[in-house]
Amino acid sequence: MLMGFFKRLFFGDHTRLQDRDLAHDHNHGRKQLSSKKLSENVDYLLSNFHKSNDLKIRVLNEGNAALLYFESLSDQEKVFEKIFAPVENGQIDEISKLRSARITQNLEEVITNLLGGQAAYIEDGSNKVHLFDVTSCYNRTPEEPQNERVIRGAHDGFIENIMININLIRKRIENRNLTVKYIKLGTYTNTNVAIIYMDGIADPSLVQEVERRVSSIETDMVHSPGLIEEYIEDQTNTPFPQMLHTERPDRVVGNLMEGRVAIMAEGTPTTLIAPSTFFMFYQASDDYNMRWFTGTFIRLVRLFSFVIAVGLPAFYIAIVGFHFEVIPDELIIPVKASINEIAYPPIIEALVMVVIIELIREAGVRLPAPIGQTIGIVGGLVIGDAVVRAGLVSNLMVIVVALTAIASFVVPSNELSTALRLLTFPLIVLAGTMGFVGIVFGMLIIIIHLTKLQSFGVPYLAPVAPLNFGDLKDTFVRLPMFMMKTRPKDSHAIKPDALNPVRKWKLSDQQGSKPNQQPDGAEASSKKQSDR
Amino acid sequence: MILTALILLTGCWDERQFKNISLVLSMGFDTGEEQAIRQTVSIPTVTRSSEGPGQEFINVLSTEAHTPREARDKIDMMISDNFDPSKVRVVVFGEELAKEGIFPVLDDMYRDPKSNLNAYMAVVEKGTAEEITRLRATGETRISEYLGGMLETAASSTHTTGENLQLLCAELIEPGIDFSVPLIELDKQNGAINFSGMGLFHEKTYTGEKISAEKSTLYMLLQGKKGKIARLTEKVSGENDEITSYATVEVNKMKRKMKLTVDDGVTADIHVNLELKVVEYPSDHLYVKGKIKMLEEQLTDVFTKESEKILTTLQEANSDVFGIGRRVKAYHPDYWNEVEWSEEYPEIAIVPHFDIKIIEHGIMN
Repeated sequence: MLMGFFKRLFFGDHTRLQDRDLAHDHNHGRKQLSSKKLSENVDYLLSNFHKSNDLKIRVLNEGNAALLYFESLSDQEKVFEKIFAPVENGQIDEISKLRSARITQNLEEVITNLLGGQAAYIEDGSNKVHLFDVTSCYNRTPEEPQNERVIRGAHDGFIENIMININLIRKRIENRNLTVKYIKLGTYTNTNVAIIYMDGIADPSLVQEVERRVSSIETDMVHSPGLIEEYIEDQTNTPFPQMLHTERPDRVVGNLMEGRVAIMAEGTPTTLIAPSTFFMFYQASDDYNMRWFTGTFIRLVRLFSFVIAVGLPAFYIAIVGFHFEVIPDELIIPVKASINEIAYPPIIEALVMVVIIELIREAGVRLPAPIGQTIGIVGGLVIGDAVVRAGLVSNLMVIVVALTAIASFVVPSNELSTALRLLTFPLIVLAGTMGFVGIVFGMLIIIIHLTKLQSFGVPYLAPVAPLNFGDLKDTFVRLPMFMMKTRPKDSHAIKPDALNPVRKWKLSDQQGSKPNQQPDGAEASSKKQSDR
Repeated sequence: MILTALILLTGCWDERQFKNISLVLSMGFDTGEEQAIRQTVSIPTVTRSSEGPGQEFINVLSTEAHTPREARDKIDMMISDNFDPSKVRVVVFGEELAKEGIFPVLDDMYRDPKSNLNAYMAVVEKGTAEEITRLRATGETRISEYLGGMLETAASSTHTTGENLQLLCAELIEPGIDFSVPLIELDKQNGAINFSGMGLFHEKTYTGEKISAEKSTLYMLLQGKKGKIARLTEKVSGENDEITSYATVEVNKMKRKMKLTVDDGVTADIHVNLELKVVEYPSDHLYVKGKIKMLEEQLTDVFTKESEKILTTLQEANSDVFGIGRRVKAYHPDYWNEVEWSEEYPEIAIVPHFDIKIIEHGIMN
């Protein structure tokens, strides 16, 4: 201690280093100095925890010292290993001399640390409180998220522990520019929220805006990313999600490298990515692991599914309700046969079927897996078949609604998938009342709405509106990776270039092979000659 | 609430539920006995079945009325659903009515925005449309499908123009151009329908003259129309042996030009350049030098003669299917104003010129 003081005096480092901690700024300046009396300290702590029963107090040194910790938050083995073992082994005389302890005199800080799973050692006659890290945590393994599976590529996913999640990202980006900023949210829950971005790639004003919005949240609790999303998104009155949810580290890393900002919260594996555009919801990690031909094909199929999911039932209703002239001649009799004796108008049919599909889906999600399958069979086969046989719904309508449901499940993002299924309803009503004109109006309204939306100052429909030809490389199609030279403009990255020519070897190959070949040929011919 | 109702209910008035409609797939018009028109329609009704296609009944109804629209209303009263002609595939005319004029009948269809102008038209030779519409052909359930399919294949094998009601409309109204319509004939023995040629129209009436089915391909080529396939069989040599004296050729490429010269009278030269492929030539030896040249000359000869016959028929029928009148009107308006075209047309000279080139003769030799 004294040596340290002199060292600082001589070497001119006058600022004292402080422990950095997640929680260091969270006491809101509240301070309660500890007293020298053990009982006073313990009483203060006990009363602040409302004598909660899981706060364990072990009295040591014949009543002259006490060790306090939450048995529900601490690992008993760690308590023994870190605190008692050194003393028992004779390495050290007293617990207070343990070097691993952090010392404080502020009881408020003790409270927050106890809540963080630390153990506090208090001695009578000293106002110093020694804090030991004995946190226990129970984590599941970072396995692949169920809702974002890929065939090829990384098979890990985020878990409920923010430290492990950040670890997964840092392992992928070993760079000093990866910056993590912690913010504590929720006056009661004290949830750790991390804002992660690449310094030097992400637009500083974007980072600042995200930070400003996140830190402005004043709430009692933050328990899911859905809450944070609603607190900070630009427009809440819209079915479209304006932030990408993902549980995949590789996806987060890809977006960080495009200059976007990730928001993580303790206790949830879901990460929010801002700003997001409409087309990001149609990108899947799989696309980048496939050959670009297949990747493009699948992407196009996916985008086509958007049109089917939103418009197919409406289109069908408009046809059978208004414009049956568009049915081809060969098809007109089969279509007529299937709907001729249905009691209800097609709009009722469609609404009933769409609602039934939603019921089956919701039931399948809520039920445990083994029963879930039964629901699938009951819903899909029995209801589907029986409803047609009973003549309540035409079999064409069943086909249409089933196709729509499948198309809506193709979207890689669950949020957008739900949004699409919701949008079907107004379009069905419009088609049922106004036919094709209604569909045109509905689609127009949707497109106008989409173009008006913004996500953190970025147009939602970028790069289509505003149009940017260069950035179309990764929207409708997935061009080969070596063509993705620049980051998309919609992320406002301040460093636009993403890669130098990655296929430089080819250029050097072509240049190099020409002079190489000639001596080879010359050699061969001279060899032939000598053979003769 | 009112606003929502206003927005959502505005369209409902013109809703036409597909299930509440009786589709009329073919229509036939004849001259009636008491009133002007006798209309026959065939309406298929299908029953639903959960697996496979449902059973199909065909309802054929006839009625007499003063106008087609009146007939339609009368039929509407006979059926449970709404009469809807928007999916009509064929409109058939009886010969008598066609000779009286078809426009008064078609007028209703041209005025109604919902009628199907994509339908084919045909005239029944020596018979009535009712007979045709009531025909139950073996193998084919619906007369509309049977007739429609027949006329479609006839168009693709260059026997008919393949014109639908929409395309006929202009030619029907315009004075400088006439048209021809496929003729069909009921074959009572086989219970089938035959394509028997192209019926020639003058202005709005059927003239009674026709180009027979065998000649109709050449007739189409003269008009500059070629379907997917155009195959011609002609007698090319004077040999007695029946089979070997014929040759069948297929048209690979066709170019047709019409030139008008107007001084005292009108002369129309029709140049037809054909690139042919020999598909049948039993006397063989096409590989012999000069043989192809000979065949080309023979074909040119035959085609020219045949064409002349066709052209004579056209002029006798006073049916200006080539639209020569239209050209005269456009390029020589003074002359057009001078003469009465329908009197002038039978007198003008139409000269066919064939330029034939055989480019393929199959894989033999």
